[in-house]
Amino acid sequence: MKRRTWLLSALGATGALVVGWGVLPARSRMGSPELMLQTAGDVALNGWIKIAKDGAVILAMPRSEMGQGVHTALAMLVAEELDVPLSRVRLEQAGADSIYGNVAMLVASLPFHPLDSEGGEKPTKIKMAEWVVGKLARELGINATGGSSTIADLWDPLRMAAATARASLVQAAATAWKVPANDITVANGLMKHASGKTAHFGEMAAGAAGATPQGISTKARKDWKLIGQSTARTDIPSKVTGQAQFGMDVRLPGMLFAAMRMSPVLAGTASSMDTQAALAIAGVENVVQIDAWGGGTGGVAVVGKSSWHARQGAQAVQVQWQNPSTALADTARIQADLLKALNTESGFTFHEQGVPTQAEKAAATRIDALYQAPYLAHATMEPMNCTAQVKDGKVEIWAPTQVPQMARDMAAKVAKVDKDQVTVHVTQLGGGFGRRLEVDFIGQAVQVAMACKGLPVQLSWSREEDMTHDFYRPMHLAKFQASLDDKGEVTSLRIKSAGDAITPRWMARAAPHLSGPIDMPDKTASEGLFDLPYGFASQHMSHVATKSGVPVGFWRSVGHSHNAFFSESFIDELAAATKQDPLAFRLNWLKDAPRYAAVLKLAADKAAWGTPLPAGRARGIALHESFGSIVAQVAEVSLEQGQIRVHRVVCAIDCGTVVNPGTVAQQMESSVIYGLSAALFGKIDIVGGVVQQGNFPSYPMVSLSQAPQVETHIVPSTRHPAGVGEPAVPPIAPAVGNALFALTGKRQRALPLVV
Amino acid sequence: MELHINGESRTANADPSMPLLWVLRDELNLTGTKFGCGIAACGACTVHVNGQAVRSCVMPVSAVAHQKIRTIESLGTAEKPHPLQAAWIAEQVPQCGYCQSGMLMAAAALLDKTPNPSDAEIDAAMTNLCRCGTYQRVRAAIHRAAAQMKKGGAA
Repeated sequence: MKRRTWLLSALGATGALVVGWGVLPARSRMGSPELMLQTAGDVALNGWIKIAKDGAVILAMPRSEMGQGVHTALAMLVAEELDVPLSRVRLEQAGADSIYGNVAMLVASLPFHPLDSEGGEKPTKIKMAEWVVGKLARELGINATGGSSTIADLWDPLRMAAATARASLVQAAATAWKVPANDITVANGLMKHASGKTAHFGEMAAGAAGATPQGISTKARKDWKLIGQSTARTDIPSKVTGQAQFGMDVRLPGMLFAAMRMSPVLAGTASSMDTQAALAIAGVENVVQIDAWGGGTGGVAVVGKSSWHARQGAQAVQVQWQNPSTALADTARIQADLLKALNTESGFTFHEQGVPTQAEKAAATRIDALYQAPYLAHATMEPMNCTAQVKDGKVEIWAPTQVPQMARDMAAKVAKVDKDQVTVHVTQLGGGFGRRLEVDFIGQAVQVAMACKGLPVQLSWSREEDMTHDFYRPMHLAKFQASLDDKGEVTSLRIKSAGDAITPRWMARAAPHLSGPIDMPDKTASEGLFDLPYGFASQHMSHVATKSGVPVGFWRSVGHSHNAFFSESFIDELAAATKQDPLAFRLNWLKDAPRYAAVLKLAADKAAWGTPLPAGRARGIALHESFGSIVAQVAEVSLEQGQIRVHRVVCAIDCGTVVNPGTVAQQMESSVIYGLSAALFGKIDIVGGVVQQGNFPSYPMVSLSQAPQVETHIVPSTRHPAGVGEPAVPPIAPAVGNALFALTGKRQRALPLVV
Repeated sequence: MELHINGESRTANADPSMPLLWVLRDELNLTGTKFGCGIAACGACTVHVNGQAVRSCVMPVSAVAHQKIRTIESLGTAEKPHPLQAAWIAEQVPQCGYCQSGMLMAAAALLDKTPNPSDAEIDAAMTNLCRCGTYQRVRAAIHRAAAQMKKGGAA
């Protein structure tokens, strides 16, 4: 059991003994000034901070903005430590050095039970494993925006980089003014001394570059002016005037446009094509056969003078498709395979406590249930696209991507050039949700650009190509079994789930150099099942990892997104079976998880749980931890002409220290709607390898008129910041399903919900 | 082909059947108007034609020659925002922002006709899709802008 954990702990212990624990302080990611882009008149002070002549602060920005507000939040951290107004912090895309890699995201992939880290000091085995994975992540330096990890990851390194820059500037002023550094104050980007001397950062930047301040620490919590204050997002003004530049808005001199047409069968390729009809269309310039890149599907790209011409051309090409050599995916068959796997395979045990077999043998009552969730598409509003130029042995790409280095590596591979010959420009992302952790469309764009004689070309997908060639949230099934003793107390909970593991498939296609010969157990498959906070004495949670052949990917909140529906619905079943109120039942089993109980109580209080509702309405409650944050939601639901109507969602969250409460509220609202679209409508069917849903009418999402009012309540906390972009997705489906049970008496055990 | 866009006369060398969206984006570099679905289902491509909200992804350019076309680029500027844009900032509406040009143009057409819309009127008019789920803030911002316009000022 949990051999990987043991192995990592042992490695961690060895590593710690050899080089000591203190190898991963925030300072280790400070970086040297040469890592920043050299720009005339600006002075870099470390790998993150540059000072402009006018005193503005330029921040190296490695993470992608896809609506989650991180460009504002990260700039806030820097503005806080430097005591400059937020408007004086400008962003510049970071380079590819490993200091910009995401350490927190990799550390979070360890399959530890979150309750083990709830107390004060973490157990040694966890510290050891986190140390070794952190060290590995630091070496790998994978720059990815995902896993709700941006603030958790950069919280210490960025504040330390900014505090160091500030101390250097103050020291430079102290030297210039011949006064003690301690006598200099900093406010609003100005340094001042009682003698009347004053200077902005730009005036002291040259001196600061050589300064070596000692004993630097970040601001004490009580001195924060910006962190914790609802702060207007800096990216919003350009998003209300149409000026924000998304991938599809890149315009370059001489730029051509390309449309993609892929094999209708997933993972298929084009074997031959007749381009005559396409090339006969005025405005169509070229047709290029495109390989399957990054685990995607092959096809043809048509180049034209506009996206419209290219799209018409793409429809006119006569293509012979070659199906993949493996069996064609079929959701009905996969569902049957998963059920068989559940019944015949033992899977990997992610968590075990007590003696479940004994409790099961002694049970007076057993409660069994089977839950299921379908494949889902991401459906970002901006379809996949990338602009590329291949010229004189160099490649330049402009892409809405969550993984700029992987995009660079893919471009280098396709164009057969060294990685350092590739320049990546990250644009604003018109939604990400995990889809833009993939680089299939990057490879396609570069291959098209290679056929465009040095001209830039923008490759974009139609909605139909986007929906039918996604990396889907995998279908999952889970079998629950609870034992009750003769007093009606729950004595054991056994959960076995089955479905494709995402991480090994993603590693193989996006980072093949890190991919191993065998699949390691993937935490994302069992998260939301093995890590429950309820104190049932005996528990056993395992997962059977399957290989359906369907391209599967990370979908906002990943395994939690469906597993929370399974687990929180089943907990509700247990409450009903033992004739207890769903809130009281949960609280009763959360005695050793006070932080969870507090979040649950807050949501229940704010929703006035237990008070009467208008006739025809009912409440449902759900609680779930993911990405280090605990979220509880109470949904108020009714049926209107046989349709499920969600009126109000009260959401409580404990996400540790909050940087921008305004963004937390935005993300709670966003996650509820995203999760509700999946709960009410989301379903991808695959027949003969072909995805059946192609556009919004067949893959609907919640509209304004159907949107509930979402209220957010934040639990004050001084813990390390945790995730915000995803943790409110998982609870909404079970909260609504549980409300439907309260309303109709019918238990919802499959997504999407059907009344 | 002669087009009247944002108060200016523009000549587009376009196929008559080419949708207005692509003429705006790819011929005239007015990229504020977005592509989302290509079948008038999501509203990301919403512009005004003679004051009416129109989904430009299915509107052949030949059908709007000599009509008054208005895009997000002329709704307002950072310095002189339309009351809706000011309200959008006050309510912190956008997240990824991709659908917001269309949202704003749909809202502007609504307020032109219905200066003080009820929730039901907002429901009926605002059928644009937003994957980030900004809907409740869209609603609040429309109410805020409507109130402000009644007072005759910026939101």
